[in-house]
Amino acid sequence: MKRITTRGARRSRRAAGFIAIAASAALVLSSCAGGTAAPAGDAPELSDEPVTLRFTWWGNDARTANTEAVIAAFEAENPNITIEPQFTDWAGYWDKLATETAANDTPDIIQMDEKYISTYGGRGALLDLNDAGVDLADFPESALDSGTLDDALYGIPVGLTSYSILANPTLLAAAGVELPDDETWTWDDFQKAGAAVSAAGGGSVYGAQSWGFEDGGLNNWARQHGDALYNDKGEVVIKPETLTSWWEYLLAITEEGVTPPVTATIEKQAGGLAESFTATNTAAFGTWWNSQLTALTEASGSPLQLLRIPTIDDAEEGSAFYKSSMYWSVSARTEHPAEAALFLDFMLNTEEAADLLLTERGVPANEKIRAYLTPKLSETDQEVVAFLDELADVVGEAPPITPPGGSAIEALVKQYTEQVLFGQATPSEAAAGFIKDLTASIDAA
Amino acid sequence: MSALGELRSIGTKKVKGGSKAKTENKAAYLFLLPWFLGLGVITVGPMLASLYLSFTKYTLLSPPEFIGIDNFIRMIGDERLHNSLGVTFMYVFVSVPVQLGLALALAVVLNRGLSGLSFYRSVFYLPSLLGSSVAIAVLWKQVFGGQGLVNVLLGFFGIEGRGWISDPSTALSTLIILNVWTFGAPMVIFLAGLRQIPQMYLEAAEVDGATKWQRFFRVVLPLLTPIIFFNLVLQIIHAFQSFTQAFIISGGTGGPADSTLFYTLYLYNRGFANFDMGYAAAMAWFLLVIIGIFTAINFWASKYWVFYDD
Repeated sequence: MKRITTRGARRSRRAAGFIAIAASAALVLSSCAGGTAAPAGDAPELSDEPVTLRFTWWGNDARTANTEAVIAAFEAENPNITIEPQFTDWAGYWDKLATETAANDTPDIIQMDEKYISTYGGRGALLDLNDAGVDLADFPESALDSGTLDDALYGIPVGLTSYSILANPTLLAAAGVELPDDETWTWDDFQKAGAAVSAAGGGSVYGAQSWGFEDGGLNNWARQHGDALYNDKGEVVIKPETLTSWWEYLLAITEEGVTPPVTATIEKQAGGLAESFTATNTAAFGTWWNSQLTALTEASGSPLQLLRIPTIDDAEEGSAFYKSSMYWSVSARTEHPAEAALFLDFMLNTEEAADLLLTERGVPANEKIRAYLTPKLSETDQEVVAFLDELADVVGEAPPITPPGGSAIEALVKQYTEQVLFGQATPSEAAAGFIKDLTASIDAA
Repeated sequence: MSALGELRSIGTKKVKGGSKAKTENKAAYLFLLPWFLGLGVITVGPMLASLYLSFTKYTLLSPPEFIGIDNFIRMIGDERLHNSLGVTFMYVFVSVPVQLGLALALAVVLNRGLSGLSFYRSVFYLPSLLGSSVAIAVLWKQVFGGQGLVNVLLGFFGIEGRGWISDPSTALSTLIILNVWTFGAPMVIFLAGLRQIPQMYLEAAEVDGATKWQRFFRVVLPLLTPIIFFNLVLQIIHAFQSFTQAFIISGGTGGPADSTLFYTLYLYNRGFANFDMGYAAAMAWFLLVIIGIFTAINFWASKYWVFYDD
């Protein structure tokens, strides 16, 4: 843009003839962009030629190590296939994937999230994996449904998780606070326990890490209030009162000092999991997906305890839910669908891969693998599985799938929470703005 | 406009200049071919594509769909866009004057025949090379962070610091300081300009009894106005396009609470995070218009304060 302003006028005459060339070049380029979806029907055949697949995921150090081990094991079995790993943290992952997709340079195998699966799948960027050659026999129907859109399986669920609290018993003991009974505790109990820890912590240890910056917490709050973000048609239906009460609660515990100052929270977020208050042993409670226990235990070096999320006094029955921690998807434009499917099959269905991946990506959704794996797990990982199993009696139906455009929720939650906590908007103003913006984003998609 | 007129007259002259000139022109065009190709493929082609996209709904993953001027109409009611314009104007109109003032002051100091001038010149120029890099933005984040260097220094004086970057009331200021810090490029240009000022003017003024300040304000500054003008135009355009610093420091969100949401950053978020590429293209063209207007104002105003000594 700078160029046309400063020099464009002078260039324009000389360049006129070349515009035609450029335009035709653009046409050629865009015709390549038409997409080459793999033919439907029988699974494509494997090649004997050397094949390179690009594989992208988000995650932490523990995940990088176990994923690289799986890649090595797969490559040893299939010498003609090379897997090129590409990983970032969550924050940069989606920008990068969107840019690559726009440039027709999508990686072949993609770690996919529930918030994005309809955005990508619904627009033809992902391959239907129903008949791609991955054995799906050991996956429960309900789990596969969560990756299905209009009868096409755009993502195979890798593992299950549930929203939970990770408590640090050492910090609680130091503050003289008892480990709460997580079957009965309410948000009031949470607030009181947190305030006691903060008071004893003297500004270096806090009661709870702030969690108003991601949509998992909001989703959970909505379910406890008998509300939901979306309906089955993909419309935003959450009530303003639900959002208002959520932000009021966050504001109250922030002002009371249960959570660290907002500026500190914002700063820590940039550092990802490893710099979180839970990982640095500076908050007694933190909300996490329960499968993150392994990574956080490793990062913090202290024993952590999984607790159920507090509820409101008259919480809706079955407000807890299992979430597919992530999905494996394949780009619709991959040149090697058969090899990509072979790799997915290896990761999802073999005991060899299960031994390496354990529960770091969630408790395996594959029931046979889950049964095989459980007795072999470390104590920490067994806790992850046990937590999910015990939760079964309070788990309700899965929330409706996030509609295309709904991935904007992540930025919106952050933006409005910041406005509320910095006093730039009241909780009810934020609620109205949030609903308006989220609806607009889904309408525009 | 005048540049275009000038170009036209040059063009006609060349065509009339006979066959030898024509052959020479051909050779020149041949040599310029690689540059023309680059211009077409890398600049003009994508710009035309973006102009077309600004009239479409384009979600990146499915083909663009023509919707006329809807994107531009939506911009009128987009409050975040208005906010981002406010942030950008604040950034441009605070950081550019301060940066140029600092650059000029240092250029004058360095021009007084210091020994080791080239060393100082290089040292002061260094930030300009680094300023818009990712590494410096990351460093900045550390320096102004809650446990950062700035707070440590303030701590020595018993002043309690704060999270400069994570507080909406100070986050933009840190970016302005970062831009001011990259004063090296305009400073080098000022230095060259100062060297061009004939000594005899200054000597004559001295003979006439002008004080040091009078010499600076009455002789040096007027002769330097074309250079100031040049720097002003360039730095304003540059500042409007700032992106990297805010992207890195706010983690791509323009936060906290949209306080560092530069126009370019919002454009990027619309395009790549919300898959609203048609709208982003429309925003890009609107930015071009804004920059065009400010550049035009600059050129118009220059008639009243820029002095050409020729």
